Amino acid sequence: MIGRRRDRATERRLRALRAPHESQTQWRAWPVVSAVYSDRSVRRQRRSWVRVGLVPAVILIAGVLALTPAGATVHRWIVQTIVAHPRPQLVSLPASGRILVAGPGGAWTVAADGSRHRLGPGSEATWSPHGLYIAVAGAGQLSALTPTGTTVWSVARPDVRQPRWFGPNGYRVAYLSAGTLRVIAGDGTGDRALANDVGGAAPAWRPAHAYALGYVQRPATIVVRDVDTGQVAWSRHLASAPQLLSWSADGSRLLVLTPSAAWLFDGSGRLVRHLAATAGPFRAGALSPNGAQLALLDDRAVTVTGLTRSSSSPRVVLTAPGARQLAWSPDNRWILVSWPPADEWVFVHAAGVPRVIAMSRIAEQFGAQRPVRGFPSLEGWCCAAGGGFG
Amino acid sequence: MSATTETVTVARSTPARRRLRRRSDLAVIRGAQAGREADLEELFRRHWRRAYRAAYLIVHDHAAAEDIAQEAFVAAIRTLDRFDRRRPFGPWLGRIVTNRAIDWTRARTARREFDQEPQDVPGPRASAELGYSDELVGALASLRPEHRAVVVMRYVLEYTPGEIARALELPRGTVNSRLRRALDALDAQLRELER
Repeated sequence: MIGRRRDRATERRLRALRAPHESQTQWRAWPVVSAVYSDRSVRRQRRSWVRVGLVPAVILIAGVLALTPAGATVHRWIVQTIVAHPRPQLVSLPASGRILVAGPGGAWTVAADGSRHRLGPGSEATWSPHGLYIAVAGAGQLSALTPTGTTVWSVARPDVRQPRWFGPNGYRVAYLSAGTLRVIAGDGTGDRALANDVGGAAPAWRPAHAYALGYVQRPATIVVRDVDTGQVAWSRHLASAPQLLSWSADGSRLLVLTPSAAWLFDGSGRLVRHLAATAGPFRAGALSPNGAQLALLDDRAVTVTGLTRSSSSPRVVLTAPGARQLAWSPDNRWILVSWPPADEWVFVHAAGVPRVIAMSRIAEQFGAQRPVRGFPSLEGWCCAAGGGFG
Repeated sequence: MSATTETVTVARSTPARRRLRRRSDLAVIRGAQAGREADLEELFRRHWRRAYRAAYLIVHDHAAAEDIAQEAFVAAIRTLDRFDRRRPFGPWLGRIVTNRAIDWTRARTARREFDQEPQDVPGPRASAELGYSDELVGALASLRPEHRAVVVMRYVLEYTPGEIARALELPRGTVNSRLRRALDALDAQLRELER
């Protein structure tokens, strides 16, 4: 009897339990939930538009393209512009800055005038903050090189991958080695392990917040911690392993990409935007250098979403099945899309009037023979050279 | 239904009240499915607190609980078109929240790094200000995650043992025994604190 009375008292207390900050969390969560709902509404409208109008229109256009000489001309023009008639060489870049490339043919830089320079062997590479140095990983070594290919320092480590240089001063380089996250000073000294059992996504330094580093702890936790004190600033667990972490240039937003969604967190780890993958898994994503736009690549197309308004929806800027990587130009105006099946780089003008510039024979120009398997990886489109250590 | 009425419903949910609530939920779900954001907001307002509370009482980390409840809502919205309106929304959402919270707790236990982090149980003063029992929250935190989840589903989400068994894919007898053990453990801890 006493036991039952005690049970009822405990049950009453359990039913009356509340969690801290229930109201505040409600106000914080609503904008995110609402944004996801708006995306869904837009997609539903698009789907119904597709069902009602677009499918017959596509059938009609296909018929016209197939059956009429004028249609065939239009079709030829589209194919020639983007795929069949790309520029046969990298003649010049449509925006200033230099592109870093790495792969089976080694690490290369491409200048704005299209000239290429091979730095040496290396499967992955990264610019220092001002483009004065390049960290190259490969063949069990991490090396810092000048843009002319002179080695400044080098350390031997097993399975070195994904080096990333802290900006703006370049005083730290983070990298992965055999499942361990390591940090080394920008002059090649003080190499040490920071965390074990980390995921394969490249670590991401929070710009201008010395020395906050984001990385993935297996299986699917984002961790942001101060590498000098070891203190964890925040962490978030996701359902699937992130494949990309990338901070905006001012350090106010962290882009986290999983195959099913793109997540934007603020500096304290609060989710501010969520974009679900609707046309197949996300393959790549990149924040524009000014943080105002987000480019996402899925199996089919590249979309750009404005981030200054929470209600803006993604717009398709290029349809390129099989494209693999993205990089923004330093002036925020162009997106470089790496497209191995076509052996092309496609530059898409992301602002104003749509323009596309395609350049072909990319694998061959970077010393690789087979376009798809040996296609060089885009490692960054860097700033003009400036001051500072890096 | 306002947040105040929801509190009443949480405090004591009779079958008649549940039916009324289900019917009105049905109308707002239909509206949300049709694209009316006001209906979605109403649905969110009715269910957010309980979803967040359930997540918090399982994971004992308010940032994680917020993420879990938010992700559960996002997942629910993404499948809203396929939602069977004959089923009640609350238990469906509650199941997503509970399963995610259990997964999160297991993952945290498995990760060395998080073992070093203190659990997010506030001190007595904060508890008094916020209006919840820190002794009970602390006692709840000491239970195994599976037991904690069953208690939260029974007394916070107001599931019947049969509903809990279906949601967690457990035999009903296991649910009853976990509830019994959890209540005994809570009772023992609270008695200890009262001494």
